[in-house]
This record gives sequence, structure tokens and C-alpha cells, in this order.
Amino acid sequence: MDNMKLPKEKVGDFLAKLGKEKFRVPQQMEGSSKFAPLNGESNADFTLSNTTVPPKSIFYPQTETLYRYNVGETAMEAPGEVDEMIIMGIRPCDARALSTVDKLFTWDPVDPYYKSRRDKATMVGLACQEPRTNCFCTSVGGGPASTEGLDILMTDLGDSYLFQVLTEKGEKICQEAGDILVKSDDSDVQAAEKLHNDAAQKIVRGIDSQDIPEKLPQLWESEIWKKVSDPCLGCGACTFLCPTCHCFDIQDEVEGLEGRRCRVWDSCMFKEYTLHTSGHNPRPSRRERTRNRINHKYSYFVDKFGVIACVGCGRCINLCPVNIDILNILSQVKEAL
Amino acid sequence: MADLEKLITVAKETVSRDDVKYLIGWRQGTYGFRVSPHFITEPEEADKLIFSPLCSNNLATYLTLVEKLPVPRGQEADTRKIALMVKGCDSRAVVQQLVEQGIKRESVIILGCPCQGVVDLAKVEEKFPAGLEQVAARWDDGKIVFQFSDGEKAVPREEVLADKCLRCRYPNPVLADTLLWEEVEAGSSSDEYADVSELEAKTPEERWSFWEAQFSSCVRCYSCRNVCPMCYCEDCILDRLNPTWVNRSNNISENTAFHLSRAFHLAGRCIECGECERVCPVNIPIMTLNRKLTKEVREKFAYEPGTDPASKPLQASYRPNDQENFIL
Amino acid sequence: MKENPYQPYIATIEDTWFETVGDRAVKTFKVTLDDEEARKNWSHRPGQCAMVGRLGIGESMFCISCSPTEGDFLRFSVMRAGKNTQGLHEQEVGDKITVRGPYGNSFPLEDWKGKHILTIGGGIGQAPLRPIVEYVKANLDQYAGLTMIYGARTSGDLCFKNEFEEMAKRDDIAAHLTIDIEEEGWDYNVGFVPSMLMDVGPSPDNTIAITCGPPIMIKFVLENLKKLNFADEQIFTTLENRMKCGFGKCGRCNVGNMYVCKDGPVFSYAILKNIPEASA
Repeated sequence: MDNMKLPKEKVGDFLAKLGKEKFRVPQQMEGSSKFAPLNGESNADFTLSNTTVPPKSIFYPQTETLYRYNVGETAMEAPGEVDEMIIMGIRPCDARALSTVDKLFTWDPVDPYYKSRRDKATMVGLACQEPRTNCFCTSVGGGPASTEGLDILMTDLGDSYLFQVLTEKGEKICQEAGDILVKSDDSDVQAAEKLHNDAAQKIVRGIDSQDIPEKLPQLWESEIWKKVSDPCLGCGACTFLCPTCHCFDIQDEVEGLEGRRCRVWDSCMFKEYTLHTSGHNPRPSRRERTRNRINHKYSYFVDKFGVIACVGCGRCINLCPVNIDILNILSQVKEAL
Repeated sequence: MADLEKLITVAKETVSRDDVKYLIGWRQGTYGFRVSPHFITEPEEADKLIFSPLCSNNLATYLTLVEKLPVPRGQEADTRKIALMVKGCDSRAVVQQLVEQGIKRESVIILGCPCQGVVDLAKVEEKFPAGLEQVAARWDDGKIVFQFSDGEKAVPREEVLADKCLRCRYPNPVLADTLLWEEVEAGSSSDEYADVSELEAKTPEERWSFWEAQFSSCVRCYSCRNVCPMCYCEDCILDRLNPTWVNRSNNISENTAFHLSRAFHLAGRCIECGECERVCPVNIPIMTLNRKLTKEVREKFAYEPGTDPASKPLQASYRPNDQENFIL
Repeated sequence: MKENPYQPYIATIEDTWFETVGDRAVKTFKVTLDDEEARKNWSHRPGQCAMVGRLGIGESMFCISCSPTEGDFLRFSVMRAGKNTQGLHEQEVGDKITVRGPYGNSFPLEDWKGKHILTIGGGIGQAPLRPIVEYVKANLDQYAGLTMIYGARTSGDLCFKNEFEEMAKRDDIAAHLTIDIEEEGWDYNVGFVPSMLMDVGPSPDNTIAITCGPPIMIKFVLENLKKLNFADEQIFTTLENRMKCGFGKCGRCNVGNMYVCKDGPVFSYAILKNIPEASA
């Protein structure tokens, strides 16, 4: 399908045409930003760079009811089908994060909760034009205009968004909104490509990740793990807000006689995460937990699924209260290798 | 005036002592205006220490964050001291930890850093978007001077200092083994709890809608709890499963239970270092909640935690003239 | 496995008894799945695990402590330790629990045919070894022999004691029971499991050794097996870690690049010794 353009003044019409209830868009909330359903007119903010809370929360919400039951009974009721969604304005790194996490959630057996939402979602990405200081997507296989995991790539051309249609799902949306979109020509694509290249040039941080996955486990006893984890507070900011971190806990929660078994985000940086009931903890301190976090992203996940479980969004660096900086850790790793 | 040379000399001497395990100070971070806690075991590492308006971290939290790992059979527990650099507010945390017997006096060496106030990173980055360049800063007569590679930029302190520093009444450590330089003038700062009064003036519905929006955005990463020098229970009710006091689910009910439990557990204990609010990734104004209780405690019991090592914890002290009218 | 792997089967407790008493009592549950279809489709192999729990309390991972050769039921031996195990201990015959699984790999008992099987267990660590014992017992003619070493702190801490006493009487199986400290009326051995192993002194020829127990016991058992010239490939163990999903999603059970729930729980020492996190 040909590329199309959405004039900025028609964004409202576009949302209305496709059905506002379907959209999940980046929004500025009280003190942070996240993807949320549209409400009222249009509270989408396509100028935000990465949202504080990554869009994984749409597909893998922090709290998910697996099934409900009444205490004392044996019937279990799983939540119903999910509706179609259009995720508009997702940044390429966050879309890549979802394709990365797909590999785990569709690893046998398939996770039905995650998968059904993924199947029902059309991903309309927005190319980055102003990467932030700690963005390093280009070091881990991505880029400001990466199309991986997207159905449409949008590029802000000033007074309109160029829609580069990538999949059938994307095509379907463009057809449905055909009377709102306008045709684009080669000059638009050239302009977009220039913007994409310019954005890639603006990325200032990075790491050569070439040898890291194979060699990282060799540094198991290295002193760097103690050094980099000394200031660690053991909080979950880096993992909860990481777009590829996917670990969870399962808990039964009961109110009166109504119970549910639910899963909730969990963090490998919490001491309870690996704590055995006996009191033994195979990862007794923040040193072991930090080592596991980095190894999991840059080595174990690669062993299992062939990709680094880090998309270079920079959130863990931006949000760490004590400046634990994954690029700094990785460069120490490179030095030690 | 902060004397870096003195600081490094004292740090080197201290960390060379046989009875010192390590020293904790601050060093320049990996980019922009960031600073990171710096753990030192060797004298040469002291050269990286800094003290500047960027040194926000309250390092006292590391005294209680020490992991108590099982001592291998045949080995003795390491009882060497931890040396710690403290600002005025940080020292109140150490004092309160001592008052509560959370730490032992002989296990800590306190290096006092009289302080003229630290910045609020958000205010700074509003003015100077953070780049990769590591920027240092210093105090200069009512101004904060940022040292960029292409020159210095001075900003009036009121524009970039953290709110807690603008109303600071304890710029000098209330307890220190060594005072690293001369005390700074306490100035005329006062604290009238304007932020709390503003909230108190609202109707309960308005207040609830305010907190509802705030607590809804909480992701329960517990950075506020973990950074807090007073949140050091080994068995925190938030982690407990048997019984489960606070469910793991993220919803307004559980999130409210979390924040209110924490606030109440800090009543009469919060030393207002503001770290919880600083580290919150979703910017919940946690200090407003804590300060409401601080205000109550101050007004009702004339008690200010972390100011007197010889005092008793509020909940463990009784005075005949204590107010009782809140008891139903 | 069900289409929704998170949704458990309901099972009924057919029989239950205490193996040991005290603060950390071990209670065994013999259960059958309520759903006939599920019962028919369920198949597990020795070494596999299942998530067992109660609606309203939670679920935890346990090894299935029976062999499929024993019949159309499941057995779990549960030590009372936390919230979920306490909840399970309150259950009696006829009560309903949730079961999902089976999870993980298993002991390669088919590959081991023709070999001598040696199990070395300590305390509740005998639970995952019991299915091996039962499986080999049921197919004894296909194996070169079965030797068991099992110990606990006191005689009161031994699980499956009656079964052992039965086996000790047989002359086609070698069963060695031991307790750490001398006790009045105790007719078997006294001493730690690793030294018991040396006393028994099994030959590594055509033998597979499988050990499970407290970490400190495993450490010394491994050392002694090496002294007895067992090759790494001849030594197996089964690991446990905190688990939530059971099928490689929740993340927490990894030992290095291996998920205990999917790549384990059964590992050969030849594999484990190359995972730095496992050796710790």
C-alpha cells in the first residue's frame, strides 16, 4: 500500500473515525506519563519522548486477574475477551521491546492473556526526532525509526504525520480512515528519511554490545558487581519501568468471599523475589541481584531467544535514584573482558 | 565553605584506619548533573569525592541498608565502622537512627559537611536540559554556579534549590565526629508548613481527589521506602505475606494503604530529608504527606525527630502535659 | 496441559497423613483430579513438579512424590513453612485443592535402564527421589540394581519411614537408613548422609547417583561421589527455587541461563558445574 499522510488538524477526525475507545495514546498525567485510553476530546500528547511508564502496561498490566472465584467453591472464571486496540504514538524502542518480550510470552506454553492483547492491537509507531541523552537504541539493534513490531510508522513532518504502512493490519487502518488521510509523495518519504537519519546522528550514548552476551558470564566473580551495586537501594524503579522486564508474582487476593488469583509485576531487585520459604536466599544481596539483572538482559535472554533484552530506551538510567547507569556498567564489563 | 582538599585528606585518613570497613561519600555521576554515592575502601578512591550543591543523596540510608548476610562458619562478623559524610539534614537521620537504636554509635564515623543547600534536579534540568557532559556545581554567595565546559552559569539559589533547602533550619550537622569545615550561618529560614496548610484548607473531597490522582500513578517500585533512612524494618509490612497487610495489586485502595501506612510509620520519625519525593519516578509529592504528620507532631508534642541524640523516640516518651484530646 | 496454563485443575484429597511432626511438619497428600478428562490426559514422569494450592490462599511448586507406576493419583509431601503450606496443612480428606502441571523435565529413567540406580537423600529431599525408587522398584528386572541412602536429623524427621523399613527387609534392594545422632530404640545407622555414602562405598561402574537434600548435604555428597570416582555425567540432582508460573514466564527460578521450571528441575552435575550461579 502507498504511504499516506495525516494532516495534524485532522488527528481528531482520525481518532473519531476509527473509534476513540480503541486508542491507547501517550498522555501526560500528574507527575509522569504513560499510555492510557483516550478520554474527552483528545488528551494524546505525541510530543512526549518515552513515557515514564512503558507501554508494556497495556499488554502486560501491573495487575492482571487470572481468574476469579468464590472462596469455598471450585468454579474459576477467567476474564473475557479483549477488544481491538490501536496503540498510537508508541516509540520504536518500546515497540521493539514488545517484539522482544513476545518471544518469552509465546514460548511454549503461550501466555493467553498477553497474546490475546497483542493479537488485538495495531501498533502505530512514532519515529523519534529528539532522542534523549540516555537513549542508546542504535547500540542494541534498534534506531529512532526502527519498524520492528510496528504496523505503521508515523513521522512528524511538521504540519502532518507521514504514515509508512508496514503490515496488513496497518493497511486496514489506513483504508478505514481513507477519507481523512491524504496521499503522500516521494518528497515526503525523503523528508522523513532525512529526519530519521538526523535523529540517529543525535544519539550521543552507546556501547558496542558485540561480545557481551557470550562473555558476560565469564565475569561472574568480577569485583565490578560489588562496585556497581554498592549504591543500589534495591528498589524496583529500573525494572518496573523497563519496557522489556516482564517478571511477575502470582498472588491470591480475597475480599469477603470474592477471591481472585492475579499476577502482579515483580522485580528481581527485591530480596523477596528469590527468597525461599526456608529463609535461604540464592541471591542474598544486591550484588547478586544486580549481576542477575544485567546477565539476564545481556546474556541469558540472548541464549534463550537470540536477542538482547534491552532496547536502549534509557529509562533505567534516567530514573535510577542513585545513578546506576547500565551503559556505565556495560563499559566496565567491556573493560574487564 | 566546602573544602574539597580537607574532605579528601580526612577521607583518606579515615579509610586507612584498620577499624573502618568503608567510607561513603559522593562523586560526580555518569552524565549531566547526576551524582552517585561513592563507596570507598582504598585511600586513592577518595580523590573522586566531591561536595557540591548536587550532592542530594542522604547517605545515612546505607547505614541501615547494609545486608546482614549469614556469617560463614568459622568466620567472625565484620564489626568495623562505616564512615559517612553527612549534610545537616542527613545527620538528623543518623541521630534518629541512634535514638531508635537502629544503629550503634560505635559502628559509625560521622564526617559532617555543613551545607548551603542542594539543588532540585528537575528545577536545574528545566533551565539546562541534561546533556552527556558531566557538570559540576558550587555555591557562590547566594548563587549556584554550574561549571559547563564552555563556561560557568550562575543562578540565584532560590531558583534551583530543593524546597526543603529553601526552608532549611539545620544546614549544619547536629552530630559529627569531625566537622569538615566551618559551620555555615543558619540564616533566617523558617518553616511555616505553607504546603501543608494549603492542602488542609481544601475540603475533604478536594483533598481526596488530589491524593487519588497521585496514588493512582504509583507503580509501587518502593524507591521511596528503600531510599528512606528511617524505613529500615527488617520485616516491612509491605513485604509480608503471612498475613498480607497490603496486597500486591496495584490499585487505588492498595496504593493508598501503602502510602498512608508508610506516612504513619514515619510520624515523629521523618527527618524531612525529602529523599522519598526526590527519587519517586512518577513524582508523587510524598513529603506533603509526611510533613502533615511532622507538623502535627511538632504542634502537639513539640517534638522534632533527629535533633537530639539523647532524646527518646516520640512514641516511647511521655510528658505529663502531652495532649490527649485525640484519644477517643 | 490446559489451554490456559494458569488455570489449575481441581483435585480432591483422597488420603493424607503426617510424615513428620513439629514446627516444620511434613504432611503427605494423595489426591485425584476431579475432572475425568483431565485425569485421563494427565501424565507425569518421575522428577516433574506441579503447582499445588488452595483458592483464596495461593499456590506453590512441589515435586510430585509418586511414580506414575503407582496408580491414577498424585502425591505431594508438603513441609509446613509459609502461608501456602500452612494452608495446605489445614486440608483433610475430601477437601478440594488446585493442581496444575506437570512441569519441568524428568529423570531420564528410560536411558538409565540396565544401570544400577543409587539415590542419596536427606530430609524432605527424599520426596523427589521417591518416584525414582518406586519406578525402579516396579521395573526392577530392567535395572542392574537399586541402592538407597536416606538420612535425617532424627528418626522423627524421616519421611516415608514405613516404606523404607519395608524395603530394608528385601534382599533385592539395598536400603540404608541413617540419622545424625544416636537415639534409643534406633536399629539402623547413625551418622551424616555423606559419611554413610562412604560407608556404603558404591562402585561407580554402570551406576547413576541421584542426590537431593539440604544444600550443605549435597555439597559433601558431591565431594564424596567424586572421591568414589563417579563421573560428572553419572551424578544427578534436582533443584528448587521460588517459582510462580511453572512454565518459564515469571522469571524468578533461573539459575544462570537455565529456568529450573523448564530446563530443570533435574540437572546432571556435568551441566550444573558449568553454571556459576548453581555452584554457589
